[in-house]
Amino acid sequence: MAIPIEQLAEEMYQMVVEYHGKKNLKASDLTKAMIAKYGEDQVSKEDCKQAIRQLIDSGRCVYSYLGGSYITLPKKDSAAPE
Amino acid sequence: MATEATKRLTDIGPPHYEKFLPPIIKRNYGKWLYHERLAPGVMCHVAESGEKLYTVRAGSPRLLSVHTIRKIADLADKYCNGYVRFTSRNNIEFLLEDPSKIEDLKKDLQALGFPVGGTNNAISNVVHTQGWVHCHSAATDASGLVKSVMDALYERFTHEDLPAKLRLAVACCLNMCGAVHCSDIAILGVHRRPPRILHDLLPKVCEIPTVVASCPTGAIRARTVDGKQTVEVIEQQCMYCGNCYTVCPAMPLNNPQTDGVSIWVGGKVSNARSKPRFSKLAIPYLPNNPPRWPEVVEAVVKIVDVYAKHARKYERMGEWIDRIGWPRFFELTGIPFTRYHIDDFKHAGLTYNRSTHLKF
Amino acid sequence: MADEKISTPLLDELEKGPWPSFVREIKSAAQTSPMARDLLGQLELSYEEKVGHWKHGGIVGVRGYGGGVIGRYSDVPEKFPNVAHFHTLRVNQPAGWFYTSQALRTLCDIWERHGSGLTNMHGSTGDIIFLGTKTDELEPTFSELTQAGFDLGGSGSDMRTPSACVGPARCEWACYDTLKLCYDITMEYQDELHRPAFPYKFKIKCAGCPNDCVASIARADLSIIGIWKDDIQQDDEAVAEYVANGLDIQADVVERCPTRCMQWDGKKLTINNRDCVRCMHCINVMPKALRPGKERGAVLLLGAKAPIIQGAILSSVLIPFVPEEELFDTVKELLSRVWEFWDEYGMNRERVGELIQRVGMANFLDAIGLDPVPEMVSHPRDNPYVFYKVDEEQSEQ
Repeated sequence: MAIPIEQLAEEMYQMVVEYHGKKNLKASDLTKAMIAKYGEDQVSKEDCKQAIRQLIDSGRCVYSYLGGSYITLPKKDSAAPE
Repeated sequence: MATEATKRLTDIGPPHYEKFLPPIIKRNYGKWLYHERLAPGVMCHVAESGEKLYTVRAGSPRLLSVHTIRKIADLADKYCNGYVRFTSRNNIEFLLEDPSKIEDLKKDLQALGFPVGGTNNAISNVVHTQGWVHCHSAATDASGLVKSVMDALYERFTHEDLPAKLRLAVACCLNMCGAVHCSDIAILGVHRRPPRILHDLLPKVCEIPTVVASCPTGAIRARTVDGKQTVEVIEQQCMYCGNCYTVCPAMPLNNPQTDGVSIWVGGKVSNARSKPRFSKLAIPYLPNNPPRWPEVVEAVVKIVDVYAKHARKYERMGEWIDRIGWPRFFELTGIPFTRYHIDDFKHAGLTYNRSTHLKF
Repeated sequence: MADEKISTPLLDELEKGPWPSFVREIKSAAQTSPMARDLLGQLELSYEEKVGHWKHGGIVGVRGYGGGVIGRYSDVPEKFPNVAHFHTLRVNQPAGWFYTSQALRTLCDIWERHGSGLTNMHGSTGDIIFLGTKTDELEPTFSELTQAGFDLGGSGSDMRTPSACVGPARCEWACYDTLKLCYDITMEYQDELHRPAFPYKFKIKCAGCPNDCVASIARADLSIIGIWKDDIQQDDEAVAEYVANGLDIQADVVERCPTRCMQWDGKKLTINNRDCVRCMHCINVMPKALRPGKERGAVLLLGAKAPIIQGAILSSVLIPFVPEEELFDTVKELLSRVWEFWDEYGMNRERVGELIQRVGMANFLDAIGLDPVPEMVSHPRDNPYVFYKVDEEQSEQ
């Protein structure tokens, strides 16, 4: 049984929330976590890719860059002027 | 359906290049036979069909305002049926079918302040980075260095009188966004002091394990300062690469007193004759002296002049040095050889002279 | 305030002299753009203080994309409020950097409406660079760009905007269609270009011949360099013409050949093509007389990068020859295997070239399913510390 994309997106979102301020997560961190949890027969990399796209396109998460690209909650740039 | 026209488009990619190819190119695409050099900055490509395409190459400052680009577009309309291209080294190329228009185009380019040249054994335009114009980690300004050096080497752009091609590049820090590391002469901004650590800011904007892991020499350790989780730098191990600053904005390296410029020589990208290779250190440090960087200009002009005088035809900078040897390079250029010239990073031993091959 | 003329005595010095002046360009944009005016002011301050005044930001972008926008903020926004935000957009250039005047004007109009009016034609990787705008202007700029048929390029841990030399459009040495391959790769990997999912950046450059006018061997993780397999095409009459016109063929061609694979007997040039390494020197000197062979394709090399982090690397040979007609499919297959392995084992900010050095080329070849060939090395190893796979040998016995 494949895990629905919506469920993957939601679980990924919860992961981003949980790690917020502690560890920056990359797309591959989210993907690896989902595959580790459900196994490759239930979650494919392509599923994870779609879930991430859903998260980003919906605006619940955004990409950030700090020497590498991460997936994070939408927030103000720390470098932006007040 | 009313929203159809303004539907948000993504992932459309760049426009197809065929839309921008002049008809003469479409007609002879992949069927060019040979080319001839007519004058500095002017080439003629001959197709199997017998058709001839004339290229006029002009140097640009890379940083262009929209007003200037429109003037370039006007020239493209006037001379080239509205077609124009840019090169990988920030030159502008006008493609003409009618050679009788070349001189008028050159005059118009002259009037706009764009020099024609940069072909064959000339110095082509300089590949460079953003510098103080737009970069956060710049140890110097790239555009200002390019302008200062090219003012002094202007005649080397408009004339093809060097022994071989000479490729100049400027990067404003060791990140080398312009990948200057394979140039005949590379001008490279350098930091020479470890990063400052903004302990108040660091815990808020940086992830400590990532910062620690970012250091290629393991010089960064986690540390608590005034109850704050932050980091420290073992200064003897720091080689000022700036990698930590890229992952953590609370560790700036910029230092107006000690930042400056280094000069590297003898690299090349082309496979012609000898293999592609990195540039090697010639001058470890010259001061940042804006707006005209006289020390850097003098050093670069000197290296170019010595090369022009001593190299044989078709010898690139590195190939010339291969023949004469590094001791003679330092002697001819008057550049002192110092402890900084001897590598001490990975595989440094490979650069030692493990032979008795010596010239006296 | 906005009309106040900024005094820039240091930068004014850089308007003098014969080489075209970037200061003149910024001043030109400043006539119509308050952003360009404040850029001028902040740059003058940098020239006074010998230090940059930009901070890097990381959150800005257009909706859905993780690449194409570089966040930039002034660290002196109180002095120069119009460049408090000054983000860069990377706009994917047309392959080979060909334009029509109309396309250039469209780009100018969009950028004048939404940004500083300053550009780089082009950035180091090849994109059209729109230099400096506010966060609120990013989405409207993107919207107008896509309506005009342009899209953003790469930044961050994604596939960066591929670039190509002029290729068959105007070069007789192009051993494959660089523009087409560059375009096809760009379109095939739009997702990888816009949505960063790699350990770090990945650059691809298409060079039509070993002269490598796009510096792919120094700058691209995947360097695709045109090459031919059969003999150099030789026109003896044209050789004689070069000699008659004063070419010292012995000194400038024969003796410059790195493998000494040619001879000149005073009348006829003889090339031993088996010894030729396809360096291009003789062809460069006599383009009318010598041409690359007819059996054309490309060599695929992997791993180049600038110094950050573990030192600079040049790309090295992975597949010595791929016929032109198989190029796109071979590149796709290779990329899928390389990216799969890199995705699995690459550390944060580790380029493919660095990963290969860390795990060893032989292990890397095993992982991507490619057999070792002697063209991959300049010579076999000279150290005896070999990691033998004893199990394999035993099972063979």
